[in-house]
Amino acid sequence: MVGLSLGEKQFIQGGIAEDIRTDGRKRLTYRPIYVETGVIPQANGSARVRMGATDVIASVKAELGKPSSLQPNKGKVSIHVECSPTAEPAFEGRGGEELSTELSVALQLCLLGGKSGAGAGIDLSSLVVVEGKICWDLYVDGLVVSSDGNLLDALGASIKAALSNTGIPRVHVATGASSDEQPEVDISDEEFLQFDTSAVPVIVTLTKVGRHYIVDATSEEESQMSSAVSISVNRKGNICGITKRGGAGLDPSIILDMISVAKHVSEQLINKLDSEIAAAEAEDES
Amino acid sequence: MAGKAATTSTTYSPSPTTLKTKAPIFNEDWVRPDGRGFHQCRPAFFRTGAVNAASGSAYAEFGNTKVIVSVFGPRESKKAMMYSDIGRLNCNVSFTTFSTPLRGQGLDNKEYTAMLHKALEGSIMLETFPKTTVDVFALVLESGGSDLPVVISCASLALADAGIMMYDLIASVSVSCLGKNLVIDPILEEESSQDGSLMITCMPSRYEITQLTVTGDWSTPKINEGMQLCLDACAKLAKIMRSCLKEAALGSQE
Repeated sequence: MVGLSLGEKQFIQGGIAEDIRTDGRKRLTYRPIYVETGVIPQANGSARVRMGATDVIASVKAELGKPSSLQPNKGKVSIHVECSPTAEPAFEGRGGEELSTELSVALQLCLLGGKSGAGAGIDLSSLVVVEGKICWDLYVDGLVVSSDGNLLDALGASIKAALSNTGIPRVHVATGASSDEQPEVDISDEEFLQFDTSAVPVIVTLTKVGRHYIVDATSEEESQMSSAVSISVNRKGNICGITKRGGAGLDPSIILDMISVAKHVSEQLINKLDSEIAAAEAEDES
Repeated sequence: MAGKAATTSTTYSPSPTTLKTKAPIFNEDWVRPDGRGFHQCRPAFFRTGAVNAASGSAYAEFGNTKVIVSVFGPRESKKAMMYSDIGRLNCNVSFTTFSTPLRGQGLDNKEYTAMLHKALEGSIMLETFPKTTVDVFALVLESGGSDLPVVISCASLALADAGIMMYDLIASVSVSCLGKNLVIDPILEEESSQDGSLMITCMPSRYEITQLTVTGDWSTPKINEGMQLCLDACAKLAKIMRSCLKEAALGSQE
């Protein structure tokens, strides 16, 4: 929780109404984004994203598993977020648990698409090795190292960066085994398949403070919000997921307005993020 | 599976059951499994006062989806909780083990619990019961698709039955996107093959959206269409809920 005096509250709200925020940004300006990839050697892919004082790490681990009997031609992806109490004392115990489920659910909604797999950022059918027998299970884990607002956008960006950093080992399946048996596999140590992340959406959270809404809110600004809508948009400009936080109701026309603003903002964010990821990858390799 | 019994041997041997349902093709002449029009909701049935022990309760039945919600309180908040000058809302959604086609499948109720809480909190005047907690417990007796919207609408009705002060009743409706079609109030079968879903919970008299979730791939005109469809249906649903409350009030006067 952020403790603010009445004067500070009014200063934040008044600033947002005047389109100049406490740190000098405009309503629809992001803080500078820094991306580092390959930060966790143990994982198949990882990335660290910093936006101001918000600092998150995402890691992707791939393990061979069995596809579920209901969807034999699809791999499995699970997204989990951990809010460490080192970031903020409020994350200790239940407070952290609640926030981490909320973030995990929101990320799943935004990144995994509909039940049939349409609009999914991660193509689940590409994770299948042998249909009905073997598939890759992707474990996407997010960690909040330091929190200063806008966690969902930062986590979304870090997962996108981690996935583009992910190399999945090529698997050779021993042929000749009868169809009933579990086929033998040989996991290559040298050949890695790169992940296609062009379809992974970015998440834009619009936080409503007073009558206006802002992107990339700091935790001080978040404490003044009435509600926040997180919209995930992919490169094609299609909406892949919407979640809402905060109890206050919104007029339907405001939501539609937010969607069009989010689409506009996401274009810049995707380009910015892509160039940051490419720069980080280049640095990682050298 | 039942058809197989005739051809195989009479002794029972367990084998992994793979539910093989062919994904239907959603072209123009596709009809919904229950014969409804694309923009037609299932008949809704509500009844308040389903549980005697609760301060308020409601039962809802939408086709095969059957839900019971009871509201307890306001009661004193637990001692461990800090002082609060507004009331607390405590929600829980659970599924019976036999509610889903495969036993014990509906385990994502943590997600539903959080969604129910977020959908309701905007409509309740929490400042009218400071220092106290209201419990909302929902139980899905049978899951037949669109479970969460039914739970939310039913919970709002139960809160009204308990006499908790609210700005407005909450009505909730979802649409599924199947191919090019938008179908309202999807059943389980349609939900499992949907390309995207949109759920709105709103306060129809105030024309405010308290909760909105979208998954899948949507273009902006489609979202527009889906939202309008949901909002219209919510307004109609709220009328049914209101008439149910009126009926109950008249019944108790006599």
